[in-house]
Amino acid sequence: MQTIGILLVRSTYYKTIGFDLYEGLRSGLQQLGRSDIRIVTENIGFGAEKQQCYRSAEKLLLEENADIVIAYIGHRTAQLLRPLFLAANKMLIVLDAGANLPQEWSVSPNVFYHSLHNALGAWLSSKQAVNDGYKKGGMVTNYYDGGYLQTYSLSKGFEDAGGTICFNHATGHIKEEFSMAPLKKHLDDFEDAAVLTLFSGDYMQWHFKEIKEHLNQDTPIYLSPFGFEETMLEEAIYPSNNTRGVAAWAKSIDNEENRIFIEAIEATGKTPNLFSLLSWESAQIALKALSLLKENKNNITKTAEALHTFEFTSPRGKITFHAKTNTSVSPMYNARIVPTENGMCQVELDGIIDSTTEEFEALAELELNTVTSSWFNSYTCI
Amino acid sequence: MEEQKKILVLCGGKFAFKALQLLAYEKFLCGVGIGKGDDRIIDALEQESEENGMSFRSFPDKKSMSSMKEWIEEMQPDYIFSISFPFLITEDILAYGTEKFINFHPAQLPQYRGPMPIFEVLRNQEKETAVSVHFMNSKFDEGNIIFKDIVPIDTNDTYGKLTVKLSERMAHVVLNTANMVQYANKIPNTPQEKEKAYYFEKPDFSDTYIHWKRMSAQEITALINACNPWNIGADATFQGEQVKIIAASVRDEPHNGLAPGMIVSIAKDQSLNVASSDNKQIAIEIISTEEGIMTSKQLNTQKFLIGTQFN
Repeated sequence: MQTIGILLVRSTYYKTIGFDLYEGLRSGLQQLGRSDIRIVTENIGFGAEKQQCYRSAEKLLLEENADIVIAYIGHRTAQLLRPLFLAANKMLIVLDAGANLPQEWSVSPNVFYHSLHNALGAWLSSKQAVNDGYKKGGMVTNYYDGGYLQTYSLSKGFEDAGGTICFNHATGHIKEEFSMAPLKKHLDDFEDAAVLTLFSGDYMQWHFKEIKEHLNQDTPIYLSPFGFEETMLEEAIYPSNNTRGVAAWAKSIDNEENRIFIEAIEATGKTPNLFSLLSWESAQIALKALSLLKENKNNITKTAEALHTFEFTSPRGKITFHAKTNTSVSPMYNARIVPTENGMCQVELDGIIDSTTEEFEALAELELNTVTSSWFNSYTCI
Repeated sequence: MEEQKKILVLCGGKFAFKALQLLAYEKFLCGVGIGKGDDRIIDALEQESEENGMSFRSFPDKKSMSSMKEWIEEMQPDYIFSISFPFLITEDILAYGTEKFINFHPAQLPQYRGPMPIFEVLRNQEKETAVSVHFMNSKFDEGNIIFKDIVPIDTNDTYGKLTVKLSERMAHVVLNTANMVQYANKIPNTPQEKEKAYYFEKPDFSDTYIHWKRMSAQEITALINACNPWNIGADATFQGEQVKIIAASVRDEPHNGLAPGMIVSIAKDQSLNVASSDNKQIAIEIISTEEGIMTSKQLNTQKFLIGTQFN
């Protein structure tokens, strides 16, 4: 019997993340007719504790004899696990929020990243702001979300499209310190500036509430993909009439694969979200990798080369791989926030962005110079 | 939280500096030993070690290795990492602990054993190389492999460029391995495949000399890159004088049966186009002669060269 190991995380604001990741994988395998595969799990907390991450992965490989391991971690933790997977001659599929940039680390043939592309979404969202006519902008984030390299892609995307970052505002990450009030002065100083944001989880709800309280209702607010996470939006106050950006996925994407995914997750009594989506999709990648490993007699280099040309249709659209970074690329969506009847938020899609392959190539070629992220934890896991 | 492991590094000089910095920053490093090495590097390492409260020892020759065992036993490191350390660690020293000594070899093992594998992989036109991490035994580069971290080779990589690239990657591989030994309950490892093993001795003149009659244009430029800068360039003879060709590229143009080594033409950029045995040409850009290192243009102004011969 084949075994897939999965490293599960926890998050104080995405409380179901571990269950979502597990259920996405389980349902994805079931949908592909592979319920026979054994899934073994290990918990790695927030993904920040090196010993816990290493020992959990080691247990999956050396005690549970996992044929392949899936983990919701960042690039830095993947580096920690890299020698273990090389030594064990096994593949690691990283479920990557995409908050950092792949060029920060060297590529390893046995580590593949399946990404939600938050940094790419921020890059595209900033460019969209310029295309919408905003030549001035400010980056707005918080102490936590701002610690990832998505801040770099957001500001570089805006500048590369011809805009100028005129101000930055990074608020605290506890509720008492969380404030959007300083934005009012920034927006008075820089007329017609777009607010380019990076928030996830509770921060997004707090952010919307503060926007509503302190800013003009027509202030242009641009969101990155985690700003469109629908389970959080359900409880977020509708902030302004001009809130848009780029989403990685939404329930309303109209295709057969998305319908099957939503029905499968809802049938288990759970709400489909970004995390169950990511692990649902990873089932296809894991099965392909296992098949290629068998075909190539466990030669990781040959398997990696073959995976580079693998593509499949997912609820987000067609997934391909960027060979230089071992990272999956998917379509993204122009989106806006519209109000529900009770004054909360929902996502309305404006159309698919199908130039993500070219855009990701450009993003992955950015010189980082000395820019680096020191956050160890998996994105959104605090 | 478990206590941080103490790691002693045995190195051969500058190549290990980035790795030493990272290990020190992450508080793994407890001591540094250098084998051979020039005085400037030894002084710099000694000073850094003193300032950071770490043990330091220089091993200038094989004889001085007799003090290594005692030094290690005094320090009691958890692991000893070797990065291009030039001397064999004897069984007597290795007896300090099973699977305590780890070597970081800058090439694929077992195919590229030996003291200068960077030269060999470039000369052999490999598309990729590796940092091979292995437990040490009493023979050079022969212990069980823990893992190999692949490093791509670019077309224009010289010995110098690839060394810098490997030194940077080495630092990350060394840190990753330090984390591995810190957290692992068991370190997976496999014996080297004997049938694939090859030991390359340190290259001598016959290895760095261009054999015009039998080498293709690709082989010649690969050799030139492999010799730059440690041997200045690839060795050749020109008009009775020993020269070294430092930079050249392949020209995919036939020369219609001229003798290999003959200067066919002078290019617009003044490089010397020289016939090779596979009916292609190589464009020589920089050369070292008794008069000094010069571009082909500088050489060209002094002599009439078309029809003259490298051999």
